[in-house]
Amino acid sequence: MAITQRSATVVVPVGAAPRGARRLPWFRREALEGIGLLTPTALILFGLVLYPFFYAIWLAFTDKAVGSPGSFVGLANFRYVLGAPQFSAALVNTAVLTVSAVAIKFVLGMAVAVVLNQQIRGRNFFRAFLLLPWVMPAFVVYLVWRWLYDPLSGLINYGLLDLGLIGSPIAFLSDRSTAMASVIVAHCWRAFPFFAISFLAGMQTIPQEMYDAAQVDGAARWQQFRHITLPSLYHIIGVVLMLSTIWTANAFEPVYLLTGGGPSDATVVYTLLAYQMGMVNMRLGEAAAVSMLFLPLLVGLILVVTSLLQRRAH
Amino acid sequence: MARPAIRHTRREFLKTSAALAAGAGATLPFAAPAVGQRPKLVYWCYQFLKSSDDARMNFAQEWAKKNNVDLQVTLVPLKEFLPKITAAIEAKATPDIVESNAVELRGRGQLLDVTDIYQKLEKTYGGWVGNAHKFMLEPDRRVHHIMFGFQGFMLMTRDDLIREAGLTPPPATWVDMLAYAKKAQKLPRVFGLGIPVSNQTDSQVWEDMMKSYGARLADGAGKRVILGDHKKEVWEFLDYFTDVWKSGVLPPGVTTWDNTMNNSTFQSGKVVFILNPITLSLWLEENNPELLAKTGHYTYPRGPKELVHPVTFGSRAILKYTKVPELAKQFLWDSMEPGKMDREYSVSQWGPVLKAYLPFDVWKKKPFMKGLVEMSLRGEPQGWPDVFNDAWREQFTNTTISRMLQRLVVDNWSRDKAFVETLDTLNRIYAKYA
Repeated sequence: MAITQRSATVVVPVGAAPRGARRLPWFRREALEGIGLLTPTALILFGLVLYPFFYAIWLAFTDKAVGSPGSFVGLANFRYVLGAPQFSAALVNTAVLTVSAVAIKFVLGMAVAVVLNQQIRGRNFFRAFLLLPWVMPAFVVYLVWRWLYDPLSGLINYGLLDLGLIGSPIAFLSDRSTAMASVIVAHCWRAFPFFAISFLAGMQTIPQEMYDAAQVDGAARWQQFRHITLPSLYHIIGVVLMLSTIWTANAFEPVYLLTGGGPSDATVVYTLLAYQMGMVNMRLGEAAAVSMLFLPLLVGLILVVTSLLQRRAH
Repeated sequence: MARPAIRHTRREFLKTSAALAAGAGATLPFAAPAVGQRPKLVYWCYQFLKSSDDARMNFAQEWAKKNNVDLQVTLVPLKEFLPKITAAIEAKATPDIVESNAVELRGRGQLLDVTDIYQKLEKTYGGWVGNAHKFMLEPDRRVHHIMFGFQGFMLMTRDDLIREAGLTPPPATWVDMLAYAKKAQKLPRVFGLGIPVSNQTDSQVWEDMMKSYGARLADGAGKRVILGDHKKEVWEFLDYFTDVWKSGVLPPGVTTWDNTMNNSTFQSGKVVFILNPITLSLWLEENNPELLAKTGHYTYPRGPKELVHPVTFGSRAILKYTKVPELAKQFLWDSMEPGKMDREYSVSQWGPVLKAYLPFDVWKKKPFMKGLVEMSLRGEPQGWPDVFNDAWREQFTNTTISRMLQRLVVDNWSRDKAFVETLDTLNRIYAKYA
């Protein structure tokens, strides 16, 4: 089919070309054709990715506020943001949230995928059920978790008190020592099904013969997992970890809905800081500066994850 | 064989499409003259209390029908208003009329001058109530938003529990309130004070308390931070706050409460005192009249130096980008008509803003509505005794004073360290707007 179309494009212009017109050499024509085909994609890429990205960089150097055009202010926004008391807390919290949550989701997702890859009763039901937290709207999930954590009427405190495990209610979200952990738990509960389903899909492509052969050679379950399952999943793990790192680092709802960044600045993350500066204080230049300052952290996290996995895969 | 047929079909298709498009284009102005003639108005309606929202929405729909206006109404919760309007302004897709307290848009030059409507209302309806003019008039005597109601926090109390404890409501001072709370609470089921100390704006009532001890954030011009000159008053206030914190009258979890948690805690009968607008009472009226009967509504207690009880408001404004300014002004004028406001006030949380509204029966019918009139007559603009400007507003939305308190009780910082950080934050914010 491709050949037919190609020959048509060559033949038709020749027949229609006026006498004396110079025919372009084939490589020029190919190049023009290539440029023509790439132009729409390039335009879309420029309009939807590059322009907003560079515009955000430009914004970070202006005093742009809502409704005003903004003028160039050099590094003033960066100085202001770096001096904000919440900035260093946001930097640490974003890293803690991202690294811990991704690690937990990975372990949990892998464990669940391994279980659901076995011939167990009700497997299809559990596979469908597994997706429930992930398909629920985020705000519903986090409001439910807020209620679960509530020290006055929350289910967790009721349970712990009833079991006699604690003497007085624990303010999970309001104590500096438990707030971030509580946010991470709620976030992991919602997001781990993505890991589990992706790993499960990958496991189902591994030929059963490999396990049979390993079994014949006397490999234990753990050895089978370590030497067959994990290596076969490296590419999937790479993609999933990279996506999850990006999503988790940019997560806004868990913190916004559970703690509002508190108590004090115990759970403030950079997205919340950018939201506060851009959307609440209407100072878009400062919000852009927050995002720009966090860009190296995000890129660094992604590079670490991908390079580690690539090394393992090779 | 197939190729010529395709070419022929394509041409035919193009010809037919062009003919159809031309035909449709030519006939469109004649096909729907009514659509073309009806002016369009986009109205963002403040969403908070359903009965009140419905009343304003219904009026808007009726008004649009009567005036043959193509009206598009969107309910926007207060918390979402700023993010939404920010996006709308940047996307150049703004509504014509917004309901909010609009000051942040005024400060950024986004609103249409409505001084003429302000003056006409003042003249026609006997003048503005209390300090309403202070909320609207700018230093150059221009007006950019029209208030339709006062709204503000009141001290809401469980009078039954207070009387059970042998006390008489209301407490006269903040110190009395703490003493009442300690005595009337029934731990672990009922706590004394349902006041957040979190990163949500409801926590800023602590700023009002601090000011009632004599502290001020900025100078009279609202330009220079002078909190550093009021260290003595701040320390007195921090003594009081430390007493509150240590006495166990605050329920666990207040350091991450959002703006709904004080309401829900009171609704479930778990606190003696909260500071809240009467929206809660309107909710109780419908859903828990027994609890409403036990609830008292009072002005704030006094501090050692003075009574600081700022109030907020609801207002309408017209975005400067509107293509129908006169129509939007007409809407603003019509929406303040006394008969309409009488109906609206009876189901709303708003206090009266024009003197023509004071004789309405609604203020006498419900006991808790009396408090609204008192608040409207005496209430000072938000931020008072500081100047309400962009700098004050930014420190308010950043919950600066509540963050200082959290540094003490969450992070165990010393007072000096927390105070220095607060001063630094205030200085940095005010410097941006100086």
